[in-house]
Amino acid sequence: MEKEKLESLLIDYIDNNLDEGQRLEVEKILEAAENARELYRQLKQVLNVMESVSDLEPRQDHRGEFERTLETESTTSAQGRTVFFQPVFYRAAAGIALLIAGVAVGYWLNANNQRENELASLKQEMAETKSMMMAMLQNDLSASKRMQGVNVAFEMKEADDDILKALAHTMENDPNTNVRLAALEALSKFIGEARVKKILVSSLTVQKDPVVQIALIQLLVKIKEKGVVQDLEKIIEDEKNIQAVKDEAYTGILTLS
Amino acid sequence: MTRSQDLMTDEQLMEAVKHGDLQKASVLYDRYQKRIFNFLARLTMDREQGQDLTQNVFLRLLKYRQSYKDGMRFQSWIYQMARNAFADHYQAHKNKFNQFVEVEKIGNKATTAQEDMEQEEKEELLHRSMARLSDEQRELLVLTRYQHMKYEEVAVIMDTTVANIKVKVHRAIAKLREHYFELENV
Repeated sequence: MEKEKLESLLIDYIDNNLDEGQRLEVEKILEAAENARELYRQLKQVLNVMESVSDLEPRQDHRGEFERTLETESTTSAQGRTVFFQPVFYRAAAGIALLIAGVAVGYWLNANNQRENELASLKQEMAETKSMMMAMLQNDLSASKRMQGVNVAFEMKEADDDILKALAHTMENDPNTNVRLAALEALSKFIGEARVKKILVSSLTVQKDPVVQIALIQLLVKIKEKGVVQDLEKIIEDEKNIQAVKDEAYTGILTLS
Repeated sequence: MTRSQDLMTDEQLMEAVKHGDLQKASVLYDRYQKRIFNFLARLTMDREQGQDLTQNVFLRLLKYRQSYKDGMRFQSWIYQMARNAFADHYQAHKNKFNQFVEVEKIGNKATTAQEDMEQEEKEELLHRSMARLSDEQRELLVLTRYQHMKYEEVAVIMDTTVANIKVKVHRAIAKLREHYFELENV
């Protein structure tokens, strides 16, 4: 019997999904073939471990947010209830009148304010993007919000001091490895600027996360930042660093010297 | 929660939400929040993202309440929304996140602390093996093995046949077994 079919049969056997005849057939196979017994033992073990895994407990702090949305939705949908004009004729007439008024007002607004609005909204949009990004980066509760913040920064063509500082802070202090790495990635986009290089070099000595340490070393070696050789030596000497980080630092020294 | 709400089925509650009684949504939240969270946390292998996506699912429930068809099984509907929330989120981040899966984040620290080392090691091995599966295979195992859903229910959620689900689940288990014992021997 081919392996996939046997495996499928064994899963059904363990799940107790076979009829009497099939069950006996499986037992006969198990008696006769050592490899089938081994497969059975392994499947049983994996399925048992799955069975024993307990449910995760969600945090309850999101409940409040949901309740608030519920409140807002309830109010909006209550306010939004439409008043109907009973005869269809009046309803249609009201619709047409509204449409004409809408078009007229829209045209007037458009003619007068278009250019001014565009300029103002562009400025506002940029300021909003920045403040939204900062707020996301400072969201203590949600790693994925902070990740979104980093992604916004990543999309930016230029970064001012505030943004670079926020990214550096995230790279060094965020509790989540993925977020820290993404912040490093975002910073590396601006590597051509001397102030960014400075941030990355100084971060090398304070960074404690091995995954970020390795990525940081690789980046600094790639841009041939010779000034970090001493820091790399310190990393090799530091007992607290894991072997993989020390190895990377050693490779870095060899490449740079 | 009032007694009458206790007695209402999920479908009756959702129909009430759809027809304007939004407060009933909090009963559905109580009934489903933990299951949807477990589904998404196991699927993403990340508690925090599981939390965020769960919240997203319940906000979608309110936003798209009009799309719920009266008489439709509520469980299938909400799981479909959870799958969509997962797909939307990962469409944008997939390439970036894949290499950084942090399996240890999924561990239930409160309970594992009391368990013996051997069991803890086995669970760790299981999580690492699960992380190696494709999203679809992981999803199938989470639904059928962790959440004990019947193949018929999963087939409705995934909009396919029961036979197809069964074949895929068995293949996923076979793959999981392979990874598990490969990793055990490393």
